[in-house]
Amino acid sequence: MADPKMRFLVVDDFSTMRRIVRNLLKELGYANVDEAEDGVMALAKLRSEQFDFVVSDWNMPNMDGLTMLQNIRADPALAALPVLMVTAEAKKENIIAAAQAGANGYVVKPFTAATLDEKLNKIFEKMGK
Amino acid sequence: MTEHTADSGSNDEVLSRIGHMTRALHESLRGLGLDKLIEKAASDIPDARDRLDYVARLSEGAAKRVLDATDAAGPLQDGIDSTAVELSRAWRSLLDSGEGIDRLPPEWRALAERTIVSLADSRHAVSATKGHLMDIMMAQDFQDLTGQVIKRITGIAQNLEKQLVQMLVDFAPAEIKREFDNGLLNGPQINPEGNTEVVADQGQVDDLLDSLGF
Repeated sequence: MADPKMRFLVVDDFSTMRRIVRNLLKELGYANVDEAEDGVMALAKLRSEQFDFVVSDWNMPNMDGLTMLQNIRADPALAALPVLMVTAEAKKENIIAAAQAGANGYVVKPFTAATLDEKLNKIFEKMGK
Repeated sequence: MTEHTADSGSNDEVLSRIGHMTRALHESLRGLGLDKLIEKAASDIPDARDRLDYVARLSEGAAKRVLDATDAAGPLQDGIDSTAVELSRAWRSLLDSGEGIDRLPPEWRALAERTIVSLADSRHAVSATKGHLMDIMMAQDFQDLTGQVIKRITGIAQNLEKQLVQMLVDFAPAEIKREFDNGLLNGPQINPEGNTEVVADQGQVDDLLDSLGF
């Protein structure tokens, strides 16, 4: 189990989904969660505050999740930040593009609490190695 | 060079044929009265869009209410759980202390044991209820998914409307008048503000009925 004090940023344009992910994280023992509505807002938060993990949607106004991910990887200060995509985009080319852009995991909506838990742990394991 | 000339030659041919087709299309549209149909279709789209927005808005509101309720219910369940733990421990230590216990009627002791069992049952029920609350919360993700679909369809409708209107502007004499639907089956009102023909709340319904003497 990773550090429960870990700080998460949940990025999604739908407030319902942000709440669901926030509650799931809390249920899994991570209560330190902040939210952003789109990629632009997320990048601003990531650059001004300290975060340990990003859970992001793909399809969002202003800046989508993929572009945000590319920006994170291109920024030396953020490049190592783990990013888990949680999105309704279920085409193979989406999943490949996310992987190529450096996503640490990809969860397709609708998803279960168990799936989120499993993907998070997988990422923590890889990070620990 | 020759290829280029040949290319522009065939381009001209394509353009001129498109021109002919467009004129032919225009004439058949008017001949069949289809321009009126297009006009109606174009004017119906904003209404369809408003209705979809209404669905999106209502589902979001409903999902929010459910999440508010599950958020509120969780801590209540936690409260029941911690009280059960505390009471069950207190009973157990009292029963195990032995002091004066043997002098109590046996029914009291039995009742205390039953209470301890029941408190354990409560804890199981709390844990099951929290599982159900989790399911209820997770099910609200439909709002994100249906919302995305509606957003997309709204975008398509907007595009279609733009194209239809452009077609009318290009080919038909512009007298686009909105035909209001005066039927009685209009469904829920999605934009009551500013429309004096509809009521916005129950108060207005009651006032209207009052004014009619009901």
